[in-house]
Amino acid sequence: MMIPADDPRTQRLQRGRRAVAALLLTAGILSFGYVGVSSYVAEQLVYATPIPIDKTPASLGLRFAYVTFPSRQDHLMLRGWFIPGVLPNGGLTADRAIVVVHGTRTNRESKGDHQLQLTGELARHGLAVLAFDMRGAGESTPAPLSMGTLEQRDVLGAVDFLRSGPIPIPELGRPKVIGGLGISMGAATLLMAAAREPAIQAVVSDSAYAEVVPLLEREVPKRTVPVIGHVPAGFVPAALVMSQVLYGADFFAARPVDSIANIAPRPLFLIHGLADDYVPISNFQRLNAAATTPSAAHVTTWLVPKARHAQAFKVTGAEYVTRVVGFFDASLGADRSQPGAAA
Amino acid sequence: MRAVRAALPLVIVLALVAALLAISTVARVISARAGFLVERPAVLVVWLIGLLLGAALIAWVVRAALRSADSPLSLWLLVLSAVALASPLLLVLLQHPAP
Repeated sequence: MMIPADDPRTQRLQRGRRAVAALLLTAGILSFGYVGVSSYVAEQLVYATPIPIDKTPASLGLRFAYVTFPSRQDHLMLRGWFIPGVLPNGGLTADRAIVVVHGTRTNRESKGDHQLQLTGELARHGLAVLAFDMRGAGESTPAPLSMGTLEQRDVLGAVDFLRSGPIPIPELGRPKVIGGLGISMGAATLLMAAAREPAIQAVVSDSAYAEVVPLLEREVPKRTVPVIGHVPAGFVPAALVMSQVLYGADFFAARPVDSIANIAPRPLFLIHGLADDYVPISNFQRLNAAATTPSAAHVTTWLVPKARHAQAFKVTGAEYVTRVVGFFDASLGADRSQPGAAA
Repeated sequence: MRAVRAALPLVIVLALVAALLAISTVARVISARAGFLVERPAVLVVWLIGLLLGAALIAWVVRAALRSADSPLSLWLLVLSAVALASPLLLVLLQHPAP
């Protein structure tokens, strides 16, 4: 039976069809557009242009060896320097080695926070240093940036290299104890790695975040990306999800606050700038609270007046070196490479 | 039969979400085993092409379903499809409500 076109039921159905079609079209365009733009933002988020290295420890008058080693688990090739410690008598030592971990969008030289100078100071105070480029940075293998989730494998690879890899300077032998020093993302990465790896016997964390997602939600909209300029804040949550889906960069898992307690009873030194407006002081407070939860925790803290993000060494200079070297001396023991050294 | 056709867009949307979850799982496995060395722009281009194909598939199914929708039930099923399509936006609005 034919239903006439002017039948009220048919007219209602026609109107309904048009409304539903408009709804579907709007939902489809907005959703696919949203996911598409978020995917593009994710692609920009996980990529940091590698910064070339200009200076080496030789510019500070220090001996060093180039080293290459794989990350743990996914075996990405990482490049770095092994710098032996300099003893008071001018001799060299590899007895105590410190893995130095740089921050985000920089490299093992890290001009912004003067990491090469800091590395040199540690070496001059008798601590051997392994400074390396994390994945996607400097001269290491290109890979997505994940703010610590994947990068902790690089720190663990550095520990494996020191414990069982080729000895960088054979005449100095293999390091007997290993510590770590990280700055900013390097500190967060080191905290997560040390929580998993007991071979890291002492940790210095300078300007670490407790978790990275709130930081990204605040900072990403301030950045500009090609084509779209400033990223609207509403795209950030989906961009973080898409980073994981497309590139395996799980920013949601970059939460040192969840695992920092596992570092106990090993000594931990938390440093943070009081004028840090990039990683606010609340991150330090959360990390300190979590780290001191175990009864066996051994946590030292230093809040540095007037220091902005990752600028504590730049602001305090010699005091920074004295405190950090003192911490490592107390935590790792004295150098034992020389005959008659302190037992 | 027509009600089934009206439900097809919803089924397709859910299937696309399932495909997304499967891709996510595969990406994580690859990442865990060998590192994610695939070229970054290539991943994005393949993904965007996939999104376009998904959008075209949904548009085609929705068009057919709309043409054959002849009851309020059919239309409500299509409204449900629109809600499912808009779910990424709705989730963000729930997480970050406008000031």
